[in-house]
Amino acid sequence: MAQVFFDDVKEGQDIPTLEKTPTRRTLVMWAGASGDFFELHYDKEFAQSLGNPDVLVHGRLEAAYLTELLTDWVGEKGLVKKVSVQYRGNAFPGQKLLMKGKVTKKYQQGGENLVDLEIFVENPEGKKITPGTAVVALPKK
Amino acid sequence: MTTDSRKFAKTQDEVKAYLGKSIQEVMEIDGTVIRQYCECIGDPNPMWKDTAPPGLVTTAMISSGAMLIGVPLLHKRSVAGGADWEFFKPIKKGDVITTTHEFSELQDKGSEKGPRLLMVYKSSHKNQKGELVAVSTNTIMNF
Repeated sequence: MAQVFFDDVKEGQDIPTLEKTPTRRTLVMWAGASGDFFELHYDKEFAQSLGNPDVLVHGRLEAAYLTELLTDWVGEKGLVKKVSVQYRGNAFPGQKLLMKGKVTKKYQQGGENLVDLEIFVENPEGKKITPGTAVVALPKK
Repeated sequence: MTTDSRKFAKTQDEVKAYLGKSIQEVMEIDGTVIRQYCECIGDPNPMWKDTAPPGLVTTAMISSGAMLIGVPLLHKRSVAGGADWEFFKPIKKGDVITTTHEFSELQDKGSEKGPRLLMVYKSSHKNQKGELVAVSTNTIMNF
């Protein structure tokens, strides 16, 4: 992937979308990797007892996808500085999720070339279920 | 068999008594941890060999540990409300990360619509040199 440079970034520009379809298997892998064994994420009966149609995709897994969206974009010479998310809606296994981002501001601060972004996870209905913000640092040419 | 691993309190004061309680956990970042994380989220980026993806901080070092403080819930339903991560230094293969999780805030946001508690956990992650590599905040909504 080509390195993106601070010089070329424009406020308002979209960054390349990342697509993921987490399955039940992904959720079990995530539970093992994260140590988050809350039944809501792998036991359908338990999830239904709390009023959900199915098990839910872990919010932190969505945050991990959003972090990948950013590391893919900033490349080897860039750095992800901050990620902040709000969990507003649920995602279910088998749904195609789109991770998207838009540049809101570019500026220099403390000797770094920083870019603020609006980021979010979009579900198949086109709803922003996990909106958030991020700050990344990019190299100059 | 369906299980429920959660613990419940009878009063808000019982939950409040946990404020300020913390727990520490140590994780060695070896190649397996990095590989398993990348396989799990499906991140094929070749950069993640000697450097761990920053997203790793969102998983292993965060969720289980903060929950191990054992703060009881007051209401039946709980979901993650939001989270923030700040990354100061990349985590490298071979680093030993010590994380301190603290139950730092309890906000009562109940209204006529129903009860709602916000439980805020703050975590700091340091490497074997004592350098702060990341901090994170996780909010659980209990309603």
